[in-house]
Amino acid sequence: MNPFEKIFNFQIISRLDETRSLALTSQERSWLKTMLRHPASEAAFTPETLSKLNTLLEPEASIEVGEIIIEKARSKERQVYHPLLRTLRRMIMQNQGMLLTYQIKHGGGRADQAGFPHKLEYNMYKREWYLQWYSTRQRSLMSTKLRNIVSVEAASLPAQQIEGLKARIARLLEGLKESACIQVIPAYNAELSRILSSFSCFDKSVSFDESTGIYQIHVNYMRDDSEFLLSRIRFLGLRVKIVEGKQLKWRMLKSAEMAVGRYGEEGE
Amino acid sequence: MAKESFDKEIQFLRMLSLAGGAYSRQQFADRLGISVHTYDKTLRNLKEMVTVLQQNLPVEQGAELSEWLRYNYYESADPLLLFLFRAKSLKETESLRLTRLLTALQSEELTAKELHDRCCEQTPDDSLLPDEKTIRGDLKYLEEVGVILRVNEKRPYRYKAANDLIDQLSGDELLDLYDYVDVIANTQIPSVQGYLLRDTLKKALRNRGYPPEATETHRYKYNYHSRILDEAHLYTIFGAIQQRRRIRFLYLSPKKGMNYTSKNTNPLFERESAGVTDSILPLRVVYDHQYGRWYLIGHHARMGIKKFRMEGLTQMEEGEPVEEAEYAARLQQLDKQMENSWVTDTNRTVKVAVRFYNPVRSGANFIRERVEAQGQWGVITEESEAAFLYEITVNEIYEIKPWLRSFGSSCEILEPRWLRKQFIAEWKEIRSYYESL
Repeated sequence: MNPFEKIFNFQIISRLDETRSLALTSQERSWLKTMLRHPASEAAFTPETLSKLNTLLEPEASIEVGEIIIEKARSKERQVYHPLLRTLRRMIMQNQGMLLTYQIKHGGGRADQAGFPHKLEYNMYKREWYLQWYSTRQRSLMSTKLRNIVSVEAASLPAQQIEGLKARIARLLEGLKESACIQVIPAYNAELSRILSSFSCFDKSVSFDESTGIYQIHVNYMRDDSEFLLSRIRFLGLRVKIVEGKQLKWRMLKSAEMAVGRYGEEGE
Repeated sequence: MAKESFDKEIQFLRMLSLAGGAYSRQQFADRLGISVHTYDKTLRNLKEMVTVLQQNLPVEQGAELSEWLRYNYYESADPLLLFLFRAKSLKETESLRLTRLLTALQSEELTAKELHDRCCEQTPDDSLLPDEKTIRGDLKYLEEVGVILRVNEKRPYRYKAANDLIDQLSGDELLDLYDYVDVIANTQIPSVQGYLLRDTLKKALRNRGYPPEATETHRYKYNYHSRILDEAHLYTIFGAIQQRRRIRFLYLSPKKGMNYTSKNTNPLFERESAGVTDSILPLRVVYDHQYGRWYLIGHHARMGIKKFRMEGLTQMEEGEPVEEAEYAARLQQLDKQMENSWVTDTNRTVKVAVRFYNPVRSGANFIRERVEAQGQWGVITEESEAAFLYEITVNEIYEIKPWLRSFGSSCEILEPRWLRKQFIAEWKEIRSYYESL
C-alpha cells in the first residue's frame, strides 16, 4: 500500500479528466471495504445498495492498518451518520424548500417552520451533525442539530425565489464573519508547532516579526465559532494572548477573574 | 527504482499550511535548512501542480500558494493538502501512455496488441512510438494497482478498466456512496485513500451530469487538515510492524527551529545535520485528536519506550527483523505503560480530582456533556445541583492539563494540591494579560 503511487500523479489525473476517464485503484476499494464495516454504513445506504457494495468489494483485500493506530483524546463518537442526511442532502441539491419540526434547546419545540436548507455541517469537536438553514419567517440563519429534528417535509419553492434566497444566505454569512489576532508569547516560541497546530482548524494566517521574535496568528472565524476559539485559547493557557478582538479579550478577562474566584481565599 | 522521498515536500507543505505567510523566502528556507534556490524550485513545482489540478476550478490568477492553502471550511470541504500524494514524478511520455491505455479501456475490452495499435495511431511523432513490450509493462503496472483487470483466462489476455464499483451503481446509489466516502474520509482515520476515492467519485458524478454543487452539500467544522500529511509515513510503519522489523530514520525534533535537513551533494551548501539518526522497533502509532497530530511509538534498545512526533520523521528505512517473542513482549510492556496515558505520556501516574460547575443558565448542560464525551476513563460522581466531581488516574499531568484549563472557570482543581496552586497562579497571570481593558 503506497499512497504515492504514480497512478495518482497529477498529470495523469488531469489528462484522464479531459477524456472523462476514471482510474479506480485497489487501494481506494480496499479502504472502502474496510470502512464499510463501520456501523455508520447502515444509515448511509439502503440495505440493497449496501449489500451490492459488499458483493462488489468482496474480492478486495481490506486495509488492516487500523490495528496499529491508537486514537487518543477523542470526543465520544455520538454520531457519524444521521438517517436524515440522505433526505436533506437531496433537498439541498435540488434547491427545495422545507417545513421543519424540531425541538429547541430549552425544551419545547417548533412545528412546521418554513425554510430553505443550506448546508449540512459536522462539528468535529462535538461529533455531531447540524443543518444550516434559512428561516423564511424569522428571516435569519438557523443551525439545528439533526438529532433535534422531529420531521422534515419538502415544500415547493418558486424557481425565481431560489437565487434571491441563496444571495441572502451568502450576505448573512458574510455578516457573521469575525476576526481576531492572537499573539504567541515569545518565551513559548519553542512550542510554536503545537500552538499553530491548535489553530490549524481555523482559517488563519501567521505573521512574524524577526526583530522582536513575535508571532501573531490572524484568525478569521464565524461568530458561532467564538466559543470554540476561546476554549482553544484557554487550552493553551499562558502561551498565547489575544491582542485584537474586543469581545474575546473581555471574555478571557471574565473567565480568568472567575477562575481565580473559584479558589476563594487561596486565590487572593 | 529508488524510492522517491517526499520528506522535503511534506515539511514544506506543513510549514506553509501551519505558518502560512509568516516568513520571507530567506527565513522560510533557513527554517527548513534548504537553500533559497531549493525553496524556489520546490515552490515552483508545487505551484505547477496546483495549476494543473485546479484548471477546472475558479482560482484567482497568481494567488499565492499559502493563500490558496488557507483552510476555509465555508467554501469547500476539499482537502487541499491531498495534492502532496499526487506529486510522484513521472515522465511526460509515460503519463501520456498510461492515460491513453486507461482511456481506451474505459468502455472496451482490448488486448495488449490492440492497445499497442491504438497508441501508435494516436502518437503523431514516430520517434515517440512505444514498443509492445513497454505497453505490456504498463498493463502489468495498471493491473497491479488495480485500475484495470484481465477479463479472460487464456492468451491473448483482454483487459478492461476496473470501474465496476462505479458502473454497477445507479445515480442515486453513487450519490450515497460519494456522501459516505466524504463523511468517513473527513471524520475517521486513515483517510488519504478515502480522499482519493472521493475525488474519483466526484468525477464519476460529474460524468453522469450531476452539477458541481451536488458534491458541496457537506461541511466539516474544526477539521485538522494537516493530519493527512503525516499519513505519508503510516504504511511504511505498518509494513515494518507487520514484519516485526526495526526502522531507522533521521528525527528532526519539531521543537528545534529547523524542520528539514537536506542531503546536499554540493559541499558549499552542506549544513550540519540538526537531526538525530535513530533506530527503533515500531509498535504503535497514536493519533491525538486535540491537535490532529500523529506519534510513532516504539522500543529503543537503550532508552526503552520512545515516542516521536510523526512530523519529525524523515529518511525512514526498514531495518532488521526481531523475534516474534521480543515484539510481543515489547508490545505488552507498551500496552501496560500506556494504560493511563491521556495521549502518549508513560511517566508515573497521578490522581487528579476536579470539581466541574454546571452552567448557571438552564437548558443543555454543555459542561457535563463535554466531560462525558471527552473525559476518557475518568469517573464522574454527583455532588450537588451546582457541580459534579471528576476523578482520573493519569500518567503525569502535562497532557490532561490543557484540557482541564480549556473549561475556564467551570473547572476547579482539587487534587493534587500543587496542581491546584499552579492553576491559581496561571489564571492570575492570564488575568494580568487583559487587566488593562
